[in-house]
Amino acid sequence: MKFFTLIIPLIFLLSFLFAVFKKVRVYDSFTEGVKGALPLVMSIFPYIAAVMMLTKLFEVSGLENKLVQLLAPLFRGLGIPEEIARLVLIKPLSGNGSTAVLSDILSRYGADSYVARCACVAYGSSETVFYIGAVYFSEVKQKKFTAALLISLFSYFASVILCCFLCKIM
Amino acid sequence: MNAVFAAIFILSCAVLLFLDPAGFLPALLDGASKSAVLCVSLLAAYAAWLGLMKLWEESGVTRGISKLLRPVCKKLFKTRDEEALSAIGMNLSANLLGIGGAATPYGIRAATLLDKSPDARYSSSMLFVVNATSLQLIPTSVVALRLSAGSAAAADIILPTMLATAFSTVLGVLLVKLFVPTAARKEKRLLRARGKQK
Repeated sequence: MKFFTLIIPLIFLLSFLFAVFKKVRVYDSFTEGVKGALPLVMSIFPYIAAVMMLTKLFEVSGLENKLVQLLAPLFRGLGIPEEIARLVLIKPLSGNGSTAVLSDILSRYGADSYVARCACVAYGSSETVFYIGAVYFSEVKQKKFTAALLISLFSYFASVILCCFLCKIM
Repeated sequence: MNAVFAAIFILSCAVLLFLDPAGFLPALLDGASKSAVLCVSLLAAYAAWLGLMKLWEESGVTRGISKLLRPVCKKLFKTRDEEALSAIGMNLSANLLGIGGAATPYGIRAATLLDKSPDARYSSSMLFVVNATSLQLIPTSVVALRLSAGSAAAADIILPTMLATAFSTVLGVLLVKLFVPTAARKEKRLLRARGKQK
C-alpha cells in the first residue's frame, strides 16, 4: 500500500526534473499555470452552489429518506444489501454526503464485514455523476445531456449490483 | 438538467413548507456555504495542479501522452480537433491515476473544445459518461478510510473495485455508442428515409 502514497510526490518530482532538463523557466511557467485557477473556480462556483443547495433541500425535506425506503425492496431483490441503499442513492448526488455515509457504515458494521466491503467497492467504483455534469459542462452552450446522464446512472447501478456479487464470491 | 433541477427543487420546497417551514432558509444557506468551502479547497487543488500542468505543457509531456492516447481517443470520441484530443488524453490519464484534481481542469477544457466540434453531442456525451463512470485504477481514498476504521485487509477491495469500474465504463461506452447518434449516422438514416419515400 506504501507504493500508492508515493505516486503523487513522484509525479511532481519527475515533472520538475524533466522541466529543468528541458530548460523550461520553471517558476514563470508554474505561476502562469496557477493564474488559471481563480477564473476556473469562479466559472464553476454557480453550478456547484446550485447543486449543493438542491441536495441539502432534498435531504432536509425528508424526500431522500422516503426515496431510500421506497427503493429498499427493489435493492434487496437485486442482491444489494439494504444497509447500503442509502449510500448508493447519495453517491451520485454528493461526494461529501456519501463519504459521511460510508464512514458511518464502516464504524457500525466493522470494516471487514460483507456490508462494509460492498459499500467500499460501490463507493470506490463510482463518481458523483451530477457534480461532474455541473462542473464539466458549465461552460458548454448546448446542454443535451439527458441521455448521457441516464446512461451514467444506469451503468452505475449495474456496477453496484456486480460489485455486491463480487464481494460475495471474492 | 433544467427540468430535473426545477422538479426536485419545487418538490422539496413544497414538502418543507408543510413540515418545517423554518428549516428552509438554513438548509439553503448551509448548502451554499458548503459549496463555498468546497470551492476554496478546489481553488487550492487547482492552483497546485494547474501549475504542474503548465510545466507539463511547456516541457512537452502533454504532447507525448496525448500522442500515445490519440488513436484510442480519436476512435472513441470521434473528433479530429487536436487540442481537444490532447485535453481528453490528459483527462483520462489523470483519472486512471486517481488524481481528480488534475483531471477536472482538463475535463472542463475538453468539454469546452468539444462543444465546437461537428459531432458535439456525441463527443461530449462520451466524455461525460467516461468521467462519470470513474475510470480509476487505484481507489486511494477508500483504502485509507478502511485502514483508519481498523480493517485487517484494507487492500482486498482493490480488485473488485477495479472490475466494477471497468465494467461500468465499458457498459457506459457501449450504451453511448448505441443510443447517442453521431452526425454520420443521422445522415445515413435521413438518406434511408428519403429512399423509402421514393
